[in-house]
Amino acid sequence: MRVVIAEDSVLLREGLTRLLADGGVTTVAAVGDGPALVAAVAEHEPDLAVVDVRMPPSHTDEGLRAALAVRAARPGFPILVLSQYVEERYATELIGGDASAVGYLLKERVADVAEFLDAVRRVAAGGTVIDPDVVVQLLGRRRVPTERLTGREREVLGLMAEGRSNAAVAARLVISEGAVEKHISAIFLKLGLEPTPDDHRRVLAVLAFLGHPA
Amino acid sequence: MGGLPLRERVPFGRWGPLGVAVDPATWRAVPYLLGGVALGVGYFVGLVVAISVSVTLVVIWVGLPMLVLTILLWRGAAMLERRLVGWSFGVAVLSPYRPRPERGFWAHLGWLFQDPATWRDLGYLLLLLPLSLAEFTVVVMGLGLALGLFLSPVPIVLSGEWLELWGLRIDTVPKALPVMLLGLVLLVPALYAVRGLAWLHGAVARLLLGVDETRLLAARADQLRASRARGVDAAEAERRRIERDLHDGAQQRLLAVALDLGRAQAKLDADPETARDLLASAHAGTKAAIAEIRDLARGIYPAILTDRGLDAALSSLAARAPVRVDVTVEIADRPPAAVESIAYFVVAEALNNMAKHSGASQALVRVRREEETVVVEVSDNGVGGAGAVPGGGLAGLADRAATIDGVVQVHSPPGEGTRIRVELPCSW
Repeated sequence: MRVVIAEDSVLLREGLTRLLADGGVTTVAAVGDGPALVAAVAEHEPDLAVVDVRMPPSHTDEGLRAALAVRAARPGFPILVLSQYVEERYATELIGGDASAVGYLLKERVADVAEFLDAVRRVAAGGTVIDPDVVVQLLGRRRVPTERLTGREREVLGLMAEGRSNAAVAARLVISEGAVEKHISAIFLKLGLEPTPDDHRRVLAVLAFLGHPA
Repeated sequence: MGGLPLRERVPFGRWGPLGVAVDPATWRAVPYLLGGVALGVGYFVGLVVAISVSVTLVVIWVGLPMLVLTILLWRGAAMLERRLVGWSFGVAVLSPYRPRPERGFWAHLGWLFQDPATWRDLGYLLLLLPLSLAEFTVVVMGLGLALGLFLSPVPIVLSGEWLELWGLRIDTVPKALPVMLLGLVLLVPALYAVRGLAWLHGAVARLLLGVDETRLLAARADQLRASRARGVDAAEAERRRIERDLHDGAQQRLLAVALDLGRAQAKLDADPETARDLLASAHAGTKAAIAEIRDLARGIYPAILTDRGLDAALSSLAARAPVRVDVTVEIADRPPAAVESIAYFVVAEALNNMAKHSGASQALVRVRREEETVVVEVSDNGVGGAGAVPGGGLAGLADRAATIDGVVQVHSPPGEGTRIRVELPCSW
């Protein structure tokens, strides 16, 4: 797999490159600001871009805007955004109308090497990865309807919102896939969502539900 | 009670008639009240003639320079009046003129003609004629009569002359004694009249020659509003700087450490050699992060400043400077925390700039207390040419100082080193 990294801290850029190399991922370009990211993606045609939200010159949401620009030019291009802060607004902006091949993680998740590499692979394969902290923030906002869910159902909803597949949810909660499916149908029923088999359309539905208070 | 302005003692004074009679302020007012009439007449005649001639001649242009000259002369006369009135009546009359423009003919004309103070001066000078005439009359009649009666025995003794009052012939000293007494009694209202007139004249002078209090307050309010806005901006900028320092510094370092540790964990069994290197790198990164956080914390507020005050904090600052810095702090009682903090950060910024730009080989820091003000001076022997760039560290500190009415001055001619002087009032 070939990736482009956009990260202004040299220290982290190096670290990320090595970390990805450990996982057999080749970094074809490592850049330090937004415009350079857009150019590098056009030049190298990588499989994925790992982008830091805050970069020079404005040191605000430079990276996020560059990521959106890349996605606008190439719909469905896999992008994994790393952020120093949990901001659900960033996540919803990034996902927009298409949750496929999008990841939004807190920067410190890179320290959990195996998980991070897994996230990279999932996004590159077209999946969705949302940081658990963002999901917690979103769940916290919609207290009233989720109160109707059982504790287990809430756990499943959270993992689903993070972009996990049924198998991954089952593995995480140590239950069978059949049980997960049953929980999911119950959740969709209670929240009034249309059941859908497709993983990232399901994430989108859940996020849209959580992100927009009734 | 010499320092008190006259208007606070007028018209009755604290110890009645005797007090008024022995108060030097009463007698200091007399020469002006008597002699003012000459000035009043002089100003009036001079102004009426000069103004009418210049205004008439304005049509053939010569009048304009004459008018300008006249204005300058009457402003000069007004300045003289401020001094005379100030000395005679003990009232402080502040000069109300606008600052003179640096260049430009029209700017100067506007400065003369548009300043309301110019026209208030004219009003005062013209009003001086009736005012001084009235003062002259009252003082001459009052004081003259009282003193004349009181001194009535003098001509009798000296030349044997006599005087006649209400049909009584007074030609001997014993006969003159009641007259003296009458003079003494009449002196009391005369002296009160002097005090009253002095108060009145002082009030008129303050009103017409002095600073317009409303405008003074408005200007002060503007100044305070501006300094508050700059103070708020400076505080905001400071918070952003701290966030940025944390984000770019310690946070990234710790992330890199976490990354190293994560990789080390993953490689522990398969590749212990690399894992050991990663641990070493994480160890070094942790220490660097600690150092960075410590420096950042000191940059936010040095603990030593709270604990031990300016002397200790500045000495520690000087010890960390790359060149020799001599510090003298002469402060007996610790000033308010805001003053200490601003003084400290001004010195820190100055030394920082010095190390970066000036090429100086030594510097001097002096802090002393002048009554209710702490004065900080930082000087170096570098290349000079420093200035408070808007948005720069020094300008931010000047803004912070302005919130407590403090003043930062930078004197840095090229080639002559840099001198920064800060005056921070201890109450605001």
